[in-house]
Amino acid sequence: MQSTQRHPLEAILDQRIAIIDGAMGTTIRTYGMKEADIRGERFKDSAKDLLNNGDLFNLTQPRLIGDIHRRFLEAGADIIETNTFGATSISQSEFFVDDPREHGGRKDPAFYQKIVGDSFLEGLAWEINEQSARLCREWADRVGNDTGRQRFVAGAIGPLTVSLSNSPDADDPGFRVVTFDQVKQAYTQQVRALLAGGVDTLLVETIFDSLNAKAALVAIREVFDEQKKEVPVMISAAVGRGGETMISAQTVEAFWIAVRHVKPLSIGLNCSLGPDLMYPFLQELAEKADVAISAYPNAGLPNPLSETGFDFGPQDMARHLSAFAEAGLINIAGGCCGNTSEHIAAIAKALEGKAPRQYRAAQEAGR
Amino acid sequence: MSTFESSLVASRPLRLSGSQPFVQQPGVFIMIGERTNVAGSPKFARLIKEGKYEEAVSVARQQVDNGANVLDVCMDEGMIDGVAAMTRFLLLLASEPEITKVPVMIDSSKWEVIEAGLKCLQGKGIVNSISLKEGEERFCQHAATILKYGAAAVVMAFDEHGQAASYADKIRVCERAYRILVDRVGFPPEDIIFDPNVLTVATGMEEHNNYALDYINATRWIKQNLPHAKVSGGVSNISFSFRGNNTVREAIHSAFLYHAIAAGMDMGIVNAGMLEVYEEIRPELKILVEDVLLNRRPDATERLVDFGAGLKDAARGSDDKKVEEWRSGTVEERLAHALVKGIDAYIEADTEEARLKLGRPLAVIEGPLMAGMGVVGDLFGAGKMFLPQVVKSARVMKKAVAHLTPFMEAEKAAMAAAGEEVKPQGKIVLATVKGDVHDIGKNIVGVVLACNNYEVIDMGVMVPCEKILERARAEHADMIGLSGLITPSLDEMVHVASEMERQGFTMPLLVGGATTSRAHTAVKIAPHYHHPVVHVVDASRAVPITTSLLSEDGKAAFVARHEAEYEQLRQNYAAPRRTAISLASARARRTPIQWRAEDIPAPSFTGVRVLDDFPLALLREYIDWSPFFHAWSLKGTYPRILEHAEYGEQARQVFREGNALLDRIVIERLLTARGVYGLFPANAIGDDVELYADETRATVRERLHFLRQQSDREGQEPCRSLADFIAPCESHLPDHIGAFAVTTGLGLQELCDSFRAEHDDYNAIMAEALADRLAEAFAEYLHERVRGEWGYGATETLTPEERNQGKYRGIRPAPGYPACPDHTEKGAIWRLLDVTKNTGMKITESFAMWPGSSVSGIYFAHPESRYLSIGKIGRDQAADYAARKGISLAEAERWLGPNLDYNSAG
Repeated sequence: MQSTQRHPLEAILDQRIAIIDGAMGTTIRTYGMKEADIRGERFKDSAKDLLNNGDLFNLTQPRLIGDIHRRFLEAGADIIETNTFGATSISQSEFFVDDPREHGGRKDPAFYQKIVGDSFLEGLAWEINEQSARLCREWADRVGNDTGRQRFVAGAIGPLTVSLSNSPDADDPGFRVVTFDQVKQAYTQQVRALLAGGVDTLLVETIFDSLNAKAALVAIREVFDEQKKEVPVMISAAVGRGGETMISAQTVEAFWIAVRHVKPLSIGLNCSLGPDLMYPFLQELAEKADVAISAYPNAGLPNPLSETGFDFGPQDMARHLSAFAEAGLINIAGGCCGNTSEHIAAIAKALEGKAPRQYRAAQEAGR
Repeated sequence: MSTFESSLVASRPLRLSGSQPFVQQPGVFIMIGERTNVAGSPKFARLIKEGKYEEAVSVARQQVDNGANVLDVCMDEGMIDGVAAMTRFLLLLASEPEITKVPVMIDSSKWEVIEAGLKCLQGKGIVNSISLKEGEERFCQHAATILKYGAAAVVMAFDEHGQAASYADKIRVCERAYRILVDRVGFPPEDIIFDPNVLTVATGMEEHNNYALDYINATRWIKQNLPHAKVSGGVSNISFSFRGNNTVREAIHSAFLYHAIAAGMDMGIVNAGMLEVYEEIRPELKILVEDVLLNRRPDATERLVDFGAGLKDAARGSDDKKVEEWRSGTVEERLAHALVKGIDAYIEADTEEARLKLGRPLAVIEGPLMAGMGVVGDLFGAGKMFLPQVVKSARVMKKAVAHLTPFMEAEKAAMAAAGEEVKPQGKIVLATVKGDVHDIGKNIVGVVLACNNYEVIDMGVMVPCEKILERARAEHADMIGLSGLITPSLDEMVHVASEMERQGFTMPLLVGGATTSRAHTAVKIAPHYHHPVVHVVDASRAVPITTSLLSEDGKAAFVARHEAEYEQLRQNYAAPRRTAISLASARARRTPIQWRAEDIPAPSFTGVRVLDDFPLALLREYIDWSPFFHAWSLKGTYPRILEHAEYGEQARQVFREGNALLDRIVIERLLTARGVYGLFPANAIGDDVELYADETRATVRERLHFLRQQSDREGQEPCRSLADFIAPCESHLPDHIGAFAVTTGLGLQELCDSFRAEHDDYNAIMAEALADRLAEAFAEYLHERVRGEWGYGATETLTPEERNQGKYRGIRPAPGYPACPDHTEKGAIWRLLDVTKNTGMKITESFAMWPGSSVSGIYFAHPESRYLSIGKIGRDQAADYAARKGISLAEAERWLGPNLDYNSAG
């Protein structure tokens, strides 16, 4: 079933540690954008505040987003992520649909049934995904050609603003605001749009809730089957200080077991923790998993007094990720929240010539 | 690496997951419980049909508690909507942290139920089952879908022609299925679990005689010929012909498993209660059973049947007859019994019965439930019941009220619709004030009030004044109750009282918590608010006070009496008291210490060390249990308290149940312990201690500020300060000081929330009390370790009792306690040790530590160092202290409030 042809990215992972880019959201913040900037002409009459809807910048400030992609690529990123963390009908509904809770109603599957079938939201989500993928493609190819080093675009699939594992209703732990099929529908559309925009891989990331991630992975499988075409899948979870996914409280080994059937290109951890706190969980994952390991932690913990809003500077991150490499833990490295292009440059420099984790033997044995 | 190499030859283990991983261990049989299977458990089937999902979930919990590796969930029953029931039940399980650890087996013969189940599992479960019954196309589709969701699959030995019964059919069908799954679908072979059909033996039909052997042989063949595949089976089928004769059935089950496991069976659906230990089957029965299973002689069945008939006469199961006697009383008697004894097993049924009998839900509350709680209250007041029991009674009461609430809501709505006035019940808003995180006492008060039918709105901890008042106004509360444990909370309470005055509130204000007192309430808080401000000394006083304050007839008298009492307290306070001696004279009387190099050990390291996720099991031995009993208002010293004439039995029970919960906390790692500590070069400068960046002692890294006893001491007693215990600069001795911060409260909130979600305040309070003990134990443990690392404690030989009594050299006073009452000194500890970054512990704006079960302090090593109480200080010392800390006198006075021997301007 799996295509036997080796993806060029896979070949790179055998030879060296690939670099993935830094944070989009916190980097956008350094540009000092205002509400009017994100709205542009197109969304100037929108009822709700849009400034935190960073994916919308793809449409209203494509040059700003392109500039960020360029800076990450020039800093040495092999892989850049599309700016599509919230580009699904469900996540976009937070910014464009009246919250029923403000009128004594509630969010429930009936509400989300309308959301996932809403043509405005679906159209908007499609446009963001496709546009962002094209923008990334353009810059990845341009910088790739200029430097003679192939660059890759990962279609970023975020965790959504709803959870399939948690009930918001204290009186009914069996209640869910949304169904698996609705979540899958939203993700299916995102996957199709990202592929249409020309991404090289799909990256299901910042997984707080493993069941949400499962819906995304099922959606991916179904789109692959429907299009008779596959791209490598990368998976990355966000775990808290206890090493469990932030919402569904699944340990990293349990999580790996639950997604191993996807035969992903890589599995890893990102966001939520700085590299120091992430280390033991990454180590556990590296012990258990027989695919490439990715790590793109936050730049430490949030620190409102620091310029980037996070504790660690470029050299701190470089030092920590070097330690990951020296322990033989990683194949893909980069940064999440609080990591600017300077951070990525420092990480890329520090990891140059460092050996990637060896996992092929384990993979051959296990399959 | 070696595990992967060996897996080239060995069978790959089955890997599953819930929220935690489950990896098959070589040689360990996987038992799958069948209690959450409507086909296997009539009780479970009834609960699902009646929509009692909460109880159904508790069946699952029991199975997990009893060690089930995998939970089999089956909803296949004619009267049950399988898709809806499977979805609802699995989503409910997903919300139970205890249960959802374990992987689930989705058991259904209906494909749509299986797919609905797969959509609810975040982990990797097992589908039970698929087969070739409907042909290869369907089989491939189903397998591909299971693979898409990521689950293992039980494959029944079934094909288009039906069930494979003989050995030859079993292995033929299994091999065909295996080749399709592995070669065409790409299904991982280690995720294929064959069920080669366990069929009933000893039916009297000759062709059934070899069924057990066929299964066992097929199992052996599969394990030898189909790499990595697993074998499972439903064990109870084998003995169906002996229904009603459990002795024989249990023996058959274990003998069958014994042989099947030897042949390679990996897992099975087994009722653990229906299993004899193989070695303990009586020899004559074992021979008869094995004759049947292994088809060793033609008359095997007859012989076993005869033997079984003889056994049946010797009746067993006398336990069943011992029906609990109290169940035969009237419903009122049963409710009273359940409340007094704290038994919640039947409370919902009994409450419902009472509601039907009495007609109205309120009649149940005001009638039998209040009568029952009245008995509880009387017994409590008379000292014949103790707090843990009362809290358990309250839990039962809460469950009863929870059952009645929907009926009352409906009734109220109907009354409102009919234009009738709805009579409100007493409503009280409770909160721990801003900056403070302690709420164990407040929770107990809340429970006691709630079970006396007050509506309690508990706003939790660290609640700002404005939020409290806003809520009280919005809810038309009858009363506000404030709680606080640390000293700065007292000021916050004063602030709330003045705000209530300013905003024109009239409702009474109740004040409670460890640092509060009648005197402080009378002198400092009450004058700010011209309506009743009442100090509640403990939970037992909460009900009488609220009842008096809300009673139309009794309120005036209560308030008048209360006012007079508080006025008296204020007058006593204003009377002249013994004054402090001057700060200069106090300093002249510092602790006399002869500074000698041999008393100043050099530590083995300086700097900061972190202990992350420290094992709770190790801390357990360091627990000092006496304060645990104090938390339950049982005063006495452990272990003597267990034999206390009056409440020894209570103490034993709360001790037993505390340890049971502690077992769970330790095993399931429900709490996380983290700590950080450090040792630093230091010398004293007056009443301050300077900490240096390194041994050159050139750069000051931090400065700790201490106070000195200043009231006139008796005889030759010195006026001590903690600074006296560090070698002064002028001694030129290279002394050191230490600091630490530990917590065992990470995870506590979630744990308590999960108990409260089940109306189980008893265990929630128990968890808090235990977490507090663990935090103190952590501090004790760490202190011992530090004494070792400092060198002078390396040769200590103390019993645990001596250790808990502090009979070692050195002390670890904590800011906010009598030796250094200023809470803000915690700020220095936080900076020194980077506590928040290293442990996640935080300090609030009032310098309370978060999470609650945390301890921090400062280490002193000198043999003369000892705990002390600063007591009252004069204005001269307050001013000197403010200058040393670089803060204004007013601010220093604010933090030192309770220690000032004068009335500050503020």
